[in-house]
Amino acid sequence: MNKRRLVAAVSVAALASTMAACGSASSNSGGDDGGDDAPIKIALIPPTSGALAQFGTDATQAWKTAVRLANEAGGVDGREVELIVKETDTDPATTLRAAREAVTQDGAQFIGAVMTSPENAALNAQLESLNAMSFNALGKDDALVGEQCSPYAVHVVQTSSMDINALAESISEMPGEKWAIQAVDYSTGHSAAETFKAAAEEAGKEIVLEQYAPLDTTDFGSYISKLKNSDADAVFAVEYGADGIAFVQQADQFNLDQQLDTVLGFNMVSEPLFETLGDTIVGYYNNVGYDVNADNELNKEFVEAYTEDHGSAPYYVPADNFLAAETLFAGIEEAGSTDPAEVSEALRGLTFDSIVGEVTVREDDMQVLRDSYLGKVAKGDGGLEFEIVANASADVTTPEADPACQL
Amino acid sequence: MNTAQLLNGVALGSLLMVLSSGLAMIYGLRGVANFAHGALYMSGAYIAYSVSDRVSFWAALVVVPLALAVLGVVLELVFFRPLQHRSHIELGLITFGLALMAERIVVLIWGERTLRVTPPEFLQGTASFLGVDYPAYRLAIIVIALLIAAALVLWLRYTDVGLHIRASSQDIETAAIMGIDVDRVSLIVVAVGAALAGLAGALAAPYIALDPGMGNAYLITILIVVVVGGIGSIGGAMVAGMGLGIIQTVATVWSPSFAVIVPYLALTVVLLWRPTGLAGKRVS
Repeated sequence: MNKRRLVAAVSVAALASTMAACGSASSNSGGDDGGDDAPIKIALIPPTSGALAQFGTDATQAWKTAVRLANEAGGVDGREVELIVKETDTDPATTLRAAREAVTQDGAQFIGAVMTSPENAALNAQLESLNAMSFNALGKDDALVGEQCSPYAVHVVQTSSMDINALAESISEMPGEKWAIQAVDYSTGHSAAETFKAAAEEAGKEIVLEQYAPLDTTDFGSYISKLKNSDADAVFAVEYGADGIAFVQQADQFNLDQQLDTVLGFNMVSEPLFETLGDTIVGYYNNVGYDVNADNELNKEFVEAYTEDHGSAPYYVPADNFLAAETLFAGIEEAGSTDPAEVSEALRGLTFDSIVGEVTVREDDMQVLRDSYLGKVAKGDGGLEFEIVANASADVTTPEADPACQL
Repeated sequence: MNTAQLLNGVALGSLLMVLSSGLAMIYGLRGVANFAHGALYMSGAYIAYSVSDRVSFWAALVVVPLALAVLGVVLELVFFRPLQHRSHIELGLITFGLALMAERIVVLIWGERTLRVTPPEFLQGTASFLGVDYPAYRLAIIVIALLIAAALVLWLRYTDVGLHIRASSQDIETAAIMGIDVDRVSLIVVAVGAALAGLAGALAAPYIALDPGMGNAYLITILIVVVVGGIGSIGGAMVAGMGLGIIQTVATVWSPSFAVIVPYLALTVVLLWRPTGLAGKRVS
């Protein structure tokens, strides 16, 4: 009897410890250096359905170009870079699930291409426990470098405040005294509207109307009718993707432009939409985060490589994602390791050369400090293009680090 | 509450009216909650995009209903007829699956990007109507939709086929016993229903940007319209469609986030008050 029990107990103990070892081995491979030659694994979690699907595809393509160039140059810190492409529908719960899968099952240590601010906020909170870093090149909400910040989350793209401040610098350069605000009803729409209101009022402008439309609104008739009835001679519009197209198209049908001196888009009118929107948007202003014609070596190399890989010139979404890749690689080289904790440490305060010039990762909140521009849509030789009207550098546009951010 | 907002409501209502009358016909006669109706609408819009790109928008208005009628025939012969003795839920699920497939097929053919259709030259810009500068194209939609509705009602009321359809919708077994060729009637109904959905899509194309999710956006709304209007009643669906369009637009003026709930609120209220719907004659 005793012998049997002993054998049973020992087998159970052996089984249990084997399973524990397997379990911890798989979570460890997500954590530290899996050996000197192990590839660097980056998981991408772009949206593949809904209004933002096209941006998801373009973000992924930029990462692919970045990885190709890096691998052709011998890898990063001597290692090969590998991409793991997941998908999501922009619901933060789905994205978190994909992130956990990528880290625990696929062994990814770095995450990119997460699109919306709510997704990034949800992900930031989990990064330390996942032991993975996220490179946010798309979600612009200020809170991501405020109370939702994380030492493991680098904010590569400009925040809404930086963009607005860049616009604020040049509000006086755009005609229009009575502004109406038409924004999408989620975090970025509201924070953009807030900042714009403050800046406009400081510049002596009047806000005559403020309205918010739910995401995925298809019929803007009621909103446009209200705009027409208001006294507005300028509109600040924050509508993305399909919503933005529907809004511009319907505004055109209502002849809204007739009573307006300025239509200022905030991340609404961008290069991939030029063909769809057509000549309707000539004269529209929009913030521009990336100047495709920027005259520096790294940018020219990027534009050439991206165009070769994907058939068209890059715009801000692929450019910011390429910059995210550059930031990650710079961090790995500086740290001499791929351990997320060490890369995070190395990135804080790091200055390096990139496609948008020399940039610095601010150590207080992990925000990448870079220039922003105001562009006007003009007819060029090859179709529509952005004419850069004003340029604002990071020290002008970037607010002080938010004390709510505790790294 | 001004004229422009009212017209916005009527424009939306017109679209819902055309879309839901097709669904009401299919639901009324075949008893199938056609979850693929949104997909038919979307297909109509995308086909209209391609045709108006190559030929003209007017050609699209002719080609789309014909193409969709063919799709309707396929739907009837391949799915509805062979499975007509199965439970309605099973058929509903099949149409749901078809809708999912259709969305992916559309993405394969036309891509994920949002597309835009420009209305014909003379319908661009605004026209003066009732003292208001209102988009000419939306006015055209209202006119066309009202004409279609009138034609549909006249067809159902004054032709033999219409009589057979009404009879079969009321009681399909008795109609068969009375000598009506129920199979032929069903075929016509599904084909016409699908054609109407496609036509609504073609009309909506210059009004709303095209994207693969556009069918889903309206599917629930028109299912609600059909139930509110009364199962089996096409006239009821039309009235409910127009009414809901106006109410929802007015609600958007007042509070956009609340306006999203309006259809569901309407559904709850009507079902509590009159479970057969506004004009329903039987409880299926």
